[in-house]
Amino acid sequence: MTVLRWGVVAAGFVSLGALTVLVRKALSRRYPAFHSDPQGRASRGIAYALGRGLLPWEKESARLHLGAYLGGIVYHLGVFAGFGILGALTFEVNLPPLVWTAFRLAGGFGLAAGLGLLAKRAVKPHARRLSCPDDFGANIFVDVFLAAALAASFRSEAVPLFLGYSIFLLLYVPVGKIRHCFFFFLSRISFGRFFGWRGALPPPRGEVGR
Amino acid sequence: MTGKECLDRLRPEDFKTAVRRLAEALDASSVVNLESCVRCGLCAESCHYYLDDGDLRSIPAAKLNLVIRVFKRHLSPGGRMLRKWTGAREFDAAEVREWIDSLYGRCTLCGRCALNCTMGINIPAVIRKARGVLASLGLVPEGLDSTVDLARDSGNNMGISKSEWVETVAWLEEELQAETGDPSARLPLDASGADFLYLVNPREPKFYPLTLTAVGKIFHAAGTKWTMSSDFFDVTNYAYYSGDDSIAALISSRTKETAKRLGVKSIVLSECGHGFVSNRWEAPEWLSAETGFKVQSVLQLVAGYIHEGRLRFDPARNPKPVTLHDPCNLVRLGGIVEEQRFILRQAVSHFVEMIPNREQNYCCGGGGGQLAMTAFASRRRSAGRIKSEQIRRTKARIVATPCHNCLDQLAELNKHHKIGVEIKSVLELAAESLVLPGR
Repeated sequence: MTVLRWGVVAAGFVSLGALTVLVRKALSRRYPAFHSDPQGRASRGIAYALGRGLLPWEKESARLHLGAYLGGIVYHLGVFAGFGILGALTFEVNLPPLVWTAFRLAGGFGLAAGLGLLAKRAVKPHARRLSCPDDFGANIFVDVFLAAALAASFRSEAVPLFLGYSIFLLLYVPVGKIRHCFFFFLSRISFGRFFGWRGALPPPRGEVGR
Repeated sequence: MTGKECLDRLRPEDFKTAVRRLAEALDASSVVNLESCVRCGLCAESCHYYLDDGDLRSIPAAKLNLVIRVFKRHLSPGGRMLRKWTGAREFDAAEVREWIDSLYGRCTLCGRCALNCTMGINIPAVIRKARGVLASLGLVPEGLDSTVDLARDSGNNMGISKSEWVETVAWLEEELQAETGDPSARLPLDASGADFLYLVNPREPKFYPLTLTAVGKIFHAAGTKWTMSSDFFDVTNYAYYSGDDSIAALISSRTKETAKRLGVKSIVLSECGHGFVSNRWEAPEWLSAETGFKVQSVLQLVAGYIHEGRLRFDPARNPKPVTLHDPCNLVRLGGIVEEQRFILRQAVSHFVEMIPNREQNYCCGGGGGQLAMTAFASRRRSAGRIKSEQIRRTKARIVATPCHNCLDQLAELNKHHKIGVEIKSVLELAAESLVLPGR
């Protein structure tokens, strides 16, 4: 057990280190300097991109695919809960029962949402053809992680299996699609900066017919 | 040489060179964007091509994925290790064909997908960089290629000679003086002491001369000191669409030098979407320096004159219902959103918005160099169905738009989809209802 716990910690460091290298490598490239005079404020665009701009009614794509969009949010909340469970079991933290319940609920809903998104990707022809094996694999790996986290949160016999599997998942993160988790925030910041600088974002509130 | 001939002549080392060019072209934002796409496909309905044909290849994520899979194969350790698993693809002739068909032929760089991407990926910015790679291989589709070459070689995208331009302006100036009844009304060329240099779209003297006299009338009424240039007068920069940054920079530097020569304080851009983005936002990046001039759209200038009380309108002269088409480059990618609405509300009796509008407007299909690329013309007209239906729903009789690519595309859609409207520029409508001083 102790070996597995140390394994999780080591895999976490390896994963974080590899992700940091990837991000630093990306950011070491020339960053758009924006020599033009601003018309708006990049900071306002960034604040929009990371805040109001994430709300489903701000984006037509989210409004049209509300189920998938909300499913995605629930899925990612579940992943955070899964990592919460992993942290608690790795470091043997005594969490209050209410927190365990919250983690289990979020993990359970997250797993259901993940399976739903997996089914959507597999069943819808365009989604299937747009996907590569990694798109399915990443989803399945995370779903298994959530299922294992839930099992481990209820039954101590499942903890070694969960910790062992988590080592694999952590090591996989920087290799495949799951690494988007690190790039997501950078992408949103870049988006907000670009449109904020040009004064195109944030859009005015309450305009009719947008 | 045609694009197909260029493609057939490519050697294995050319593909390697192209990958190196891609590696150089991708900046930090682009790489972050490429690493972020999860291929959720929620962007599909944001693209007018996809809404029209329902083709997988028209989904913005599918277009972006063309670049992602080459990036993975050649420039990402994960993709190099696990090629099939990550969907990485070799950059070869087959891939190049797909790039040309999708990145030139199914995209207007309108940016609607970027705004609707849940990850915030600036898809058109990445696609433009990929177009630059194709341009470096000599694979810019015919029509767009020749438009860029003509601008590089002659100084404007229609190859208008200096004498033809000067004569046309002289003729239009006479028309303006007759219309205003004022011999002091001018369309000045190379005037000293002017406040700003006005750049026009070469389509104006060629096909839309009334837009030039309309602007002249408005500037005359506002008592403006302005000038146009007798040589480099072109507001457009089609290298923005071809992706060729070196030619884009050359065209931008000519504009900068012309403004310096004429000793003006600022540059005012005619009603042109990509001309605005190119001169206002991209030129400083291509030149790696501020242009040294205030650059603004004529819409900003005219809206300012109205606020200052320098222009008066009689909207009763424009009684028909008018709707506004928002050019993507000016609005979504340019940040000029309310000025055109403000001007129209002064100049027409009945203004009705399209839905959706502003930054969520649908592209008409004329941007991205599509009007120049004959190979994709039928696809362009078909994809314009979305805009045509949007116009029909407004029940307007006139569609106003402050962009010449949009004007041309809307005129074509008007015939092709039998919309039955008049297409005008915003300032044409403004000039029609302008009350001249002393009248």
